[in-house]
Amino acid sequence: MRALVIDDSRAMRRIVTGILEGLGYEVQQAGHGREGLDVLDGGWLPDLVCVDWNMPVMDGLQFVSAVRSNPAWRNVTIMMVTSESEHTQIVRALAAGAHEYVIKPFTADAIRDKLALLGLLPQEVAL
Amino acid sequence: MSTVDTGERRRSGESRPVITELIDGPTIQSIAEDAWTALVGEDEILMPLPGELPGNVLSSWVDVVGPWTGTVVLTTGRETAAELTRALLGEHAPAELDEEDIADAFGEIANVVGGNVKAALPGPSALSLPDVGEAPAVRNPADLCRVDVLWRGEPLSISVQGALPALPVPSQH
Repeated sequence: MRALVIDDSRAMRRIVTGILEGLGYEVQQAGHGREGLDVLDGGWLPDLVCVDWNMPVMDGLQFVSAVRSNPAWRNVTIMMVTSESEHTQIVRALAAGAHEYVIKPFTADAIRDKLALLGLLPQEVAL
Repeated sequence: MSTVDTGERRRSGESRPVITELIDGPTIQSIAEDAWTALVGEDEILMPLPGELPGNVLSSWVDVVGPWTGTVVLTTGRETAAELTRALLGEHAPAELDEEDIADAFGEIANVVGGNVKAALPGPSALSLPDVGEAPAVRNPADLCRVDVLWRGEPLSISVQGALPALPVPSQH
């Protein structure tokens, strides 16, 4: 399975990537939403996108809206991974087309649990 | 852990709350502890004890803009910020950290702590991208809640400080 991790923090990208690679994902990274769209435009379609909210150039909410406006990317599952924890923000993200929402700080188990809910745990891990 | 309150609360007729009316030290400490446990390590403890910051410090911060407007600032010694970066990155830490690694990791910790402080305040509010460098000045001592802790024996402070009123502009002669 493939995952795209979008966060302006290199440290956070490394942490999320480490968790996903530990679960068997092949991971690519992007530093903001525009770079994330460039990866998708380039034809590398992930099963999962983990995207931060507050980023320069293009934020996570704009990224979600852009992905959802393109029918070719409708099968991409999007999980917001962000420190934006106000209820209204969570509602906005889900309304824009995100499937799940993880609030920083998170544990590896929290990511794994969300992936299990989404049916996105690689089979050998889920067993 | 200390809360500075000089008694200069609000002037009559002013409706903007000061931070000590909205959040307290134990809540900030709890938010920081959650961030440390998740990001730095399960066994990493923040001891609620004051310590003297060294002369060479580094700060990271995010701004909160909403019904309460201000800044959440983390300050610690530069060496401690580097150690914190190594702990955060764990096995992914490069052999030699550069300034950008430290700014990125320390800024992300401010982002996580600040985001959760924002969630504890009246909303809606917006959160800025993190910044790293010399801490923004305390503009109003009555609008400040500061928590002092020790991490691995080294001092670290977390200040939630109001941005208003603006500092007076120095007169130019």
